[in-house]
Amino acid sequence: MKKTITRYTCLLAASFLLLTACDSKLDVLPTQTIDESTALSTSRDVEVTLIGCYDGMQDVDVYGGAFQVASELLGNDVELNFGGTFQNLLELFNKQITTANSTATLTWNDSYNTINRCNNVLSALDVVDEDKRARIEGEARFIRGSLFFELVRLYARAWGDGDNNLNPGIPLVLTPTRGVNEDNYPARSSVAAVYAQVLDDLTKAKQLLPASNTIYATKNAASAQLSRVYLMQGNYAGARDEANAVIESGRQRLVTPFSSLFFTYLTNGGANPEEYIFSMIVTQQDGSNAINTYFGVNFSAIPGTSGRGDIRVLPAHLNLYEAGDVRRNFFVTTNNTFTQKHLDTFGNVLLFRLAEMYLTRAEANFRLSTVVGATPLEDLNRIRTRAGLGAATTATLDAILRERQLELAFEGHRLHDWKRTRRNIGTRPYNSPMLILPIPQREMDVNKNLVQNEGY
Amino acid sequence: MVRAQEVRVSGQVTSAEDGSMLPGVSVQVKGTTSGTQTDASGNYVISVPSSNSVLVFSFVGLVSQEITVGNQTVLDVALASDLRTLSEVVVTGFGSQIKRDLTGNIAQVKGQDIENMPVASVDAALQGRAAGVYINTGSGKLGEAVTVRIRGNSSISASSQPLYVIDGTPVTTSDQGNYGGETNPLADINPNDIESIEILKDASAGAIYGSRAANGVVLITTKRGKAGKTNVSINYQMGVSEATRRVRFMNAEEYVNFFTRAANTRDRISGYDYDDPDSYTQYMLGPGGFLDYYSYGTFGTPQQGSYDWQEQAFQKGPMQQLDFQMNGGSDKTRFFVSGQYLNQTGTIVGNNLDRISGRMNLDHKAYNWLTVGLSMGLARTNNRRIPGDNAFSNPMQMAALTPLTPFTDPETGLIAGTPPGDVNLPLYYNPLLSVNYAKFLQVSYRNLTSAYAQVNFTPDLRFRSELGIDLLNQNEEGYYQSQTVRNIATASNGLGNNYSTFVTNYNTNNFLTYDKLLGLHEIGATLGMSYQQSQTKRNFVEGTQFPSNSYQKIASAATKSDGSSSETNFRFLSYFLRVNYKFSDKYLLSVSGRVDGSSRFGSNSRYGFFPAVSAGWVLSEENFLKNNNTLSFLKLRASYGLTGNSEIGDFPQLGLYSGDAGYAGAAGQRPSQIGNPDLRWEETLQADFGLDFGLLNNRINGEIDYYVKNTSGLLLNVNVPSTTGFLSQVRNIGKLENKGVELVINTQNTVGAFKWNTSFNVGSNRNKVTDIQGQIIEGGVRSMSRVMEGQPVGVFYTVEYAGVDPNNGDALFYKNTENPDGSVDRSTVTNAGYNTAQRVVVGNPNPKLVGGITNTISFKGIDFSIFFNGVSGNAINFYGVGQYSSANGIYEDNQTADQLNAWTPENPNTDVPEARFYRSNGNQASSRYIYDGSYLRLRTLTLGYTLPKSLTSRIKTERVRVYLSGLNLATFTNYKGWDPEVRTDYNANTYAMGNDFYTPPQPRTVLVGINVGF
Repeated sequence: MKKTITRYTCLLAASFLLLTACDSKLDVLPTQTIDESTALSTSRDVEVTLIGCYDGMQDVDVYGGAFQVASELLGNDVELNFGGTFQNLLELFNKQITTANSTATLTWNDSYNTINRCNNVLSALDVVDEDKRARIEGEARFIRGSLFFELVRLYARAWGDGDNNLNPGIPLVLTPTRGVNEDNYPARSSVAAVYAQVLDDLTKAKQLLPASNTIYATKNAASAQLSRVYLMQGNYAGARDEANAVIESGRQRLVTPFSSLFFTYLTNGGANPEEYIFSMIVTQQDGSNAINTYFGVNFSAIPGTSGRGDIRVLPAHLNLYEAGDVRRNFFVTTNNTFTQKHLDTFGNVLLFRLAEMYLTRAEANFRLSTVVGATPLEDLNRIRTRAGLGAATTATLDAILRERQLELAFEGHRLHDWKRTRRNIGTRPYNSPMLILPIPQREMDVNKNLVQNEGY
Repeated sequence: MVRAQEVRVSGQVTSAEDGSMLPGVSVQVKGTTSGTQTDASGNYVISVPSSNSVLVFSFVGLVSQEITVGNQTVLDVALASDLRTLSEVVVTGFGSQIKRDLTGNIAQVKGQDIENMPVASVDAALQGRAAGVYINTGSGKLGEAVTVRIRGNSSISASSQPLYVIDGTPVTTSDQGNYGGETNPLADINPNDIESIEILKDASAGAIYGSRAANGVVLITTKRGKAGKTNVSINYQMGVSEATRRVRFMNAEEYVNFFTRAANTRDRISGYDYDDPDSYTQYMLGPGGFLDYYSYGTFGTPQQGSYDWQEQAFQKGPMQQLDFQMNGGSDKTRFFVSGQYLNQTGTIVGNNLDRISGRMNLDHKAYNWLTVGLSMGLARTNNRRIPGDNAFSNPMQMAALTPLTPFTDPETGLIAGTPPGDVNLPLYYNPLLSVNYAKFLQVSYRNLTSAYAQVNFTPDLRFRSELGIDLLNQNEEGYYQSQTVRNIATASNGLGNNYSTFVTNYNTNNFLTYDKLLGLHEIGATLGMSYQQSQTKRNFVEGTQFPSNSYQKIASAATKSDGSSSETNFRFLSYFLRVNYKFSDKYLLSVSGRVDGSSRFGSNSRYGFFPAVSAGWVLSEENFLKNNNTLSFLKLRASYGLTGNSEIGDFPQLGLYSGDAGYAGAAGQRPSQIGNPDLRWEETLQADFGLDFGLLNNRINGEIDYYVKNTSGLLLNVNVPSTTGFLSQVRNIGKLENKGVELVINTQNTVGAFKWNTSFNVGSNRNKVTDIQGQIIEGGVRSMSRVMEGQPVGVFYTVEYAGVDPNNGDALFYKNTENPDGSVDRSTVTNAGYNTAQRVVVGNPNPKLVGGITNTISFKGIDFSIFFNGVSGNAINFYGVGQYSSANGIYEDNQTADQLNAWTPENPNTDVPEARFYRSNGNQASSRYIYDGSYLRLRTLTLGYTLPKSLTSRIKTERVRVYLSGLNLATFTNYKGWDPEVRTDYNANTYAMGNDFYTPPQPRTVLVGINVGF
């Protein structure tokens, strides 16, 4: 009996130990993530969140390639052909877009994801060290403003196509998300309101950003983006002055030969040529170049090239070059022809380069009959000379636009240049609803305050 | 004290089947309380009051015998196995019960029923064996995850897979792979080590596992030693597997004709002359055109051939398996030892799995009051894996390659696409390059060990403590040689990666059990606690720039291009109680409950309480039925209770930032998750009504069940506007319901020398989402799988295809929009109007019926079993394949042969639209690609012959059996794809089911084997 009692005692003791010792064991915290309440406490915290904004911006569905590829596929008809199996891209090329199109969906999602990162940074500027505060605000505003701009010109009617104050633009989200309530179901702001926000962000960014900022956004990057915004709005004086400011800054120069502009990884150790104003940096560890994915091809004569070879250049484009144009030779041919601009697997994704500024200034000066910085002919011939062509004797608007088309071919300008100059794309007028992306079906389903674009 | 008439009787109890000695058999003098048990050798001695006394020999699972002593003093008895399942012991959570006394619903599958099946994991072997359990192996890839649904899908965003418990320890079963589809950690368990598998289906059976039982619980019990003579068994089997089915694709001639027409049509639409060098016709047929290029210039020459690329994906895969098992022991110590070597070559090129496993289970009775034991299973599994279905390197995608492209490059004599030849052939990356020049090898080491100590305080009261450890140590190593550069751009000078995963999972159960018989009252109670903690650590490193393909370790990589390490944890703390009460063998009552706490939930709602109650009434014990031999057994039972689900991943409740947002070498962070501090358990309230019956002296017995499962507070990834910067938030929103009936019938058709048994089960489950508060939840291939109120989970929701306009070959779609008067507009639109057509529900991936039927026959030395299983009423979405390969020649992909029936002016009445190159004409997502997925399959067939004893004893063996067996020998289905048992790993989630995406079909295996017992 005594033995039994001893056994019971042992048992009870053991049981109590097990029953009581454990509750605190359930307090487990994650290891790779931290709670949002502590994430923005110090200047360093905000600085690394700003890096997160660049990371978001670099996403393949944002500036890592989708903006540029969408512009080229939607904006082209006979100069290139899409021969891949990504249905989202084929839909863009055929201008038969479905509302579940994954480019439309992912570009929307990932852009707003990045905008939320920017809003987090902008909400926590007060903890940033004073000497860094202006720069950090400028960078976050540059990224946010740029994304609003790209979204409004892809998902809404072009500036001036109807009433900008009535045409729905995109939702403007300016505060960081903490939890979800009714305020998180925004309607679309008007095209005018979105452009106003874009100009506000980019103008402030231009004022706040330093002239030099390693690989990050600079004053010139903001000016270059502003010149594009003004061009879209037909504000040629604005565009001219921003382009001129970049040129006059002397921070970039046209490089020769033309071919040294690309292959930043394969031939330039990952660094940007001096002509680049701003790019998305791609390294082996981080980022990828989605323009390369679709425009590139594995061309065995140039080791290190890759790509799916989906987007092929057609004779209709190649025939546009004058004899002797070095840019005409910047293609490779297997059974199809591909541009050499995007062959480099780890090539940086070019966003702005100086040649565009010359062409913008030339066009704006021409349209306004001004000679700010230089004459249109001088600017035009700078580009022609670099391409190995003889100098033109007169500058016409057509010649400037043609030069722009060839110089900046397949760099993501096509759709927007055609829309702002009101040119037809194939048989479709510039304002065809089929040249505007649908608000993603997913977003329409979730947010009843949104209205869908015409034609979807 | 001397009792004058007392008689002393002794003897030995043996098994009637194999003559082995039976220890622990109860020997009772009928009508008294005196009795004894047989010892380790089956011997007993007992004194009985008189020669009129009757001795009752009984043992669980054997037919009891009553023998009048008479004038015998030595009484040897041979007990036969009780084929009537009612007396079988069924393992319940933290205990066991006689099946007859069960009030909950537990399906039992015996280890011997799934023995030696040529499937890598035990879950796959359960297919069709238990009513209401739907199992889909998903693909023919070896060692990949198996979908198991017990009584339907009870969740949407959280897992719907059951909890697996092996010898008391909840084991790691979730995907641990970093390549291709999900892996299946259950493939580390040797199915031949399993004694029995119990599937806890209703709330009463499951509530003791509380928060983790809503999807059902699978209890796996491994074999243990038996006292007596040492038995040794060696089994060897070898065989060959081949993929079950093919889809016919076009041959070269068909392809050329088809695409000529498609290109011509496109030129007509786009206004090109066929001769225009820019025309699609010239692109296809012209010099230097598509066919010229992709045929290595053989197009239109005598060298032009026709190449069946699909067939290149398949191979005949040999398999062999060697098993060794030994068990025995004394009345104090018993042991079971086993070893297995399995080597299985896949039916898809490049796939191979081999496993070495060993197990030792020991039980030792230290004192009368103390028993201790150990179960230890060790396994090493090597799996050379094949890529995910959506990868160009998936061999099945070869079906889409141009049938004019030769397998080898005529210039180099190497596989098409191998450098230094043109790497841009064939049309897409050639998966055979990956088979030859890349590998991804997963090696997992698994240690599944549990130890227990059991203290018997009194014969009624026991305490048992169990400590289990499940260690999963996995290494994955991949190397991609430069030849694969077209598939992996960064592999231009080789790419190597290496992943290590360590999952350490500890569990302890400590519980008291009390059993008491007081006259007609019998009480059993269990009270205890358990605690589990699991930690997963992962490391990863990747390197590029290797000196040559001879160097394949990352030590030689000039660039360490990527690397990572991570860790996650979860913990459960639980207390449980169960009381069973039985009165007069007729009335049964069981009450159970569990309190669960989990680290996955916020402190506001960390603990949940999961109670259940059940009752049974054995009508056949009532006087009005007692001696009825026709209706020999009848029991009614009912249960009602609450179970939970928390399989939503770790830390869903927290608002989080992640530090993974670096840019160009600078560290970065980003907001990554919206928090929800009120997040709590998903709860399932289940009612079950059952009837167990036995007819004709229980030669026919069966079960009928009706259940209703209502899940509420679903752990749902609720979509939020992505303008917030997030896509979803986990909330407890919504309700769904599963209800169904299950029927099990087991019959002994003939007894005696010619034995014929049949076992049949069928389950029908109706799943319905009753409330998701207007959430739109969609996923899967082209987001066609959807969760909607009033519909089963994961219905296919897309535009309804209306066939072809006979006048012009345009694809047509029903508008299905609502008219102002509320009716549905059944007019049609063509491609341009596709966006205006309303999507509707066009199919349900959940089968309406799932069942299986087994017949076993034995006669003299011959044994024969044939097992069919099937599902019916489910739809499969073929769009993953169809969007490219049954797509009217929109891309250059080779087309399924059914596209030959495309519309032409000469063939106007067809449902295949006109072929139009690079132009959508019916290849949009629609009901055109939703097929019936019902099938009936000859799952296994086994024919065995056991040599007569006279022969075997001459070669000093106990038993020799040779057998011939087959798996998936025949499949009856109307499915147009490869295999109707399909679930692609591409875009898969809990509700995206029934999708095919060039998914490898199941294997058909034929094997021969020999089993020798000593």
